[in-house]
Amino acid sequence: MATETNQETGKLEFILDVPFPSSREATVALRSLSPDREPRRGVISKRLSVSGSTLSVRWSADEARILRVSVNSFLDHLSLVVETMELFGPPVDL
Amino acid sequence: MTVVIGFEGSANKIGIGIIRDGEVLSNPRRTYITPPGQGFMPSDTARHHRAVILTVLKEALEQAGLKPADIDCVAYTKGPGMGAPLVTVALVARTVAQLWGKPLLGVNHCIGHIEMGRLITQADNPTVLYVSGGNTQVIAYLERRYRIFGETIDIAVGNCLDRFARVIKISNDPSPGYNIEQMAKKGSRYVELPYTVKGMDVSFSGILSFIEEAANKMLSSGQCTAEDLCFSLQETVFAMLVEITERAMAHCGSQEVLIVGGVGCNLRLQEMMGVMCKERGAKLFATDERFCIDNGAMIAQAGWEMFRSGYVTELEDSWITQRYRTDEVEVTWRD
Repeated sequence: MATETNQETGKLEFILDVPFPSSREATVALRSLSPDREPRRGVISKRLSVSGSTLSVRWSADEARILRVSVNSFLDHLSLVVETMELFGPPVDL
Repeated sequence: MTVVIGFEGSANKIGIGIIRDGEVLSNPRRTYITPPGQGFMPSDTARHHRAVILTVLKEALEQAGLKPADIDCVAYTKGPGMGAPLVTVALVARTVAQLWGKPLLGVNHCIGHIEMGRLITQADNPTVLYVSGGNTQVIAYLERRYRIFGETIDIAVGNCLDRFARVIKISNDPSPGYNIEQMAKKGSRYVELPYTVKGMDVSFSGILSFIEEAANKMLSSGQCTAEDLCFSLQETVFAMLVEITERAMAHCGSQEVLIVGGVGCNLRLQEMMGVMCKERGAKLFATDERFCIDNGAMIAQAGWEMFRSGYVTELEDSWITQRYRTDEVEVTWRD
């Protein structure tokens, strides 16, 4: 996790890496968390990706307040998805 | 056999139901109840749903006696409703659909009410009055759409009742509407309120403002009781709803009425609608609180119809939407 100001764009950036037991589970989380768009498109962007068994999220925002709200809400959503996987997983073989 | 699990959480109820070919196998539900005088806010409601949804899901599977492998499709409410609670429920639906390797299906909440009403009452082709805390619509089926013949031009009838309950601090347990209904039985004096039918549409915000002001003045001066106000409000708004329903029936040549949505379990509304139906030689269909009030089985039932006619929702298209009109959905499962 890290927050910093991008020297070129002047935007605040936040990067979060979440380890999962396998790439399958990281992908399930990615696809559950991706569909709903940010309510304030334009002033904040969020990009999700999976590499190996790690889910990476990268935010870029104009204001710290909006960034904080988005990160907080993402963490709430992530914890729900992880708990759902723990209780109703593991994923079936495809 | 087709088994569909339905997830609903667009307002203050969170429900998960399982349907197998028209049979309700389970339908557990929890309600977020706020103290008297307070409504439910989106973020608090989402927090409530978040806290109980996985327990409710366990109950739904256990009561149905099913394993995830027995399920054919995972349906959830795509909208309309409050954003934060909708997202909470959609997240779990998307996750289990992937874990279990099942197709996902986004359902329009209003269509869920209509299809559940049709299933339970066996009404064939009714004029539908859909009345709840968030919606007020008169709907009839025509050429592959549930078409809206009349609706509220401002707030929903249930919202008008809920907010009146807050003004005079009526309990929200089990629901403000239920408590108004009980109090109205003891009211005797009719206080005249604005009657606002505008063609096929209705308006409730002016009635609410009027009765809010009247409540403060008339209750403190002893001109009427809280029970009288509950009685007067119900008589007025229900008369308006019966009027536009009757006009839609006349327009469509329909001989059936189906009442759905949370306000639909109000027995006084059912009684008034029954009188109108009797006069026209029409038949009234209504359900009780299990299926009128938001529940998971209604999303499963609409999902069952949709899935059988070929609908599925790809994960990337499974975003929720706060606005989603009843007539946006092509009804491919009816003639």
